[in-house]
Amino acid sequence: MLATRKAFILSAPALVVLVAFFVVPLALTLVESLRDGGGWTLERYASVLSQRSFRVALVRSLKLGALVTGIAALVGYPAAYAISKLERGKRTLLMSLIILPLMTNPVARTYAWFVVMGRHGIINRGLLALGLAERPIKILYTEGAIAVGLLQLFLPLMLLSLVSALENVPAELEEAARSLGANGFRAFRRVVLPLSADGLVIGGTLVFTGSITAYVTPAILGGTRVLMLSTLLYQKAMTLMDWEGATVVAVVMLLLAVGLNALLRRLRPREAM
Amino acid sequence: MRVPRSALAVLSLVLLFLLGPFLILFWSSFGTQASLAFPPKGFTLYWFRKVLGMRMFVDAFRVSVLLAFASTGAALLLGVPAAYALVRFAFPGKGFLELLFTSPIVVPGLVLGFALLSFFTAVARYPVPLRLFLGHMVLLFPYTVRVISASLRNFDPAVEEAAVSLGAPRWVAFLRIVLPNLRAGVMAAFILAFITSFNNVPISLFLSGPGVTTLPIQMLTYMEYYYDPTIAALSTLLILFTVAIIQLVEKTLGLSTTLGG
Repeated sequence: MLATRKAFILSAPALVVLVAFFVVPLALTLVESLRDGGGWTLERYASVLSQRSFRVALVRSLKLGALVTGIAALVGYPAAYAISKLERGKRTLLMSLIILPLMTNPVARTYAWFVVMGRHGIINRGLLALGLAERPIKILYTEGAIAVGLLQLFLPLMLLSLVSALENVPAELEEAARSLGANGFRAFRRVVLPLSADGLVIGGTLVFTGSITAYVTPAILGGTRVLMLSTLLYQKAMTLMDWEGATVVAVVMLLLAVGLNALLRRLRPREAM
Repeated sequence: MRVPRSALAVLSLVLLFLLGPFLILFWSSFGTQASLAFPPKGFTLYWFRKVLGMRMFVDAFRVSVLLAFASTGAALLLGVPAAYALVRFAFPGKGFLELLFTSPIVVPGLVLGFALLSFFTAVARYPVPLRLFLGHMVLLFPYTVRVISASLRNFDPAVEEAAVSLGAPRWVAFLRIVLPNLRAGVMAAFILAFITSFNNVPISLFLSGPGVTTLPIQMLTYMEYYYDPTIAALSTLLILFTVAIIQLVEKTLGLSTTLGG
């Protein structure tokens, strides 16, 4: 009983703050999305779901999320494998380089792609110089530009998850598989991959959830026309003054993120955040 | 065992992809053209001088730093006792508290920012600085709980019990024995939370107001109107700032302590 009281006193301030400025605002948003006039209704959802702009943004978010997660896994595995085999000093150096995009001011990070993808950017200069294009092609404000920006932002998360999973795979097991006649790829597929699958699941969930909810990258690289759920939410709330619509988009994003996290907890209860 | 050459090749491409844009950005922030182009012509420090002299960015930088210090400090004040309660005591409702205390990480920042703006508009009409402070504090709290919990788990409770059994009141034992041993954990939590606040866009985007704007939001606003290398110069400075922090963390704490906490 004493322990309970002490624990309660110690965590009470945090509990109060989180209830007041986290639980209540989110609950109000949820309630708001389900009410109209005096009664409960799903009308707002029906109205937002019937909008083409919402459906396009939803499908685009899921599609780009899946694309970025897939590429991050494909590219991340060999890269993380190489990192996990390096000696300690080099590994630390590489990790600190890899997390740079994660720790950098997001506007600065995304702005860097302007210089690469812009009308007079490095890609267009190259295409013109090589005669591959007659005038600058449009790279910015496309889905591809958003995907590239998201990949730079979230690939580090995949790498961190995979490296920590691969470090726990005993090198002897892989060597045993090889000495028993498996070639490098087979040893990887049959031994290393199954033993590091947790890292892939965790990294994949983080990358996918991050991609479908990120704001700065689609806002800068997608502009005001190529909208994802996040940029649509902002546009509805602050530009179109469609507060009810924005509320529904916010709840959809919330459910997607919470649902994915719950799924991850189910699959890997211990390693999940 | 040798690392296969193909894996090393992929790793090099990954590094080029992750860091290449930064190098190109550095280079172009020294160019003399008024619009962003590659390759940049000439060499000048003009854009750096310009951005350091611009009131809007200097003020926003000040707001960001103050906000990061205040919200990080507050999140630690809430997070240290909460983590202590979660790690040291078994009590009914503990699982629920653990879930609640980490959930601000799970909720998309933009959704939290939007919900807080609705709340501050309809229910609690607080001034803008207080809104920003509360929003950031809620965002940072889970990081402090997670990192401090991890470092508490690594600290043997027997040492603290020894102090208590020798007659020290529980709170004295905490201040004199536990807290000094948590120093690395608190430092790690502080740095992680500070960077998270300093770089935050989604919450500040909804909670900033006239006259009180954080640096990332001010940069976004400026970018809507201008394309000159001012932002490139500012971005260069911010990236170097981040590199310095990562170096500091690596030297003093080790990256794995900070990130894996």
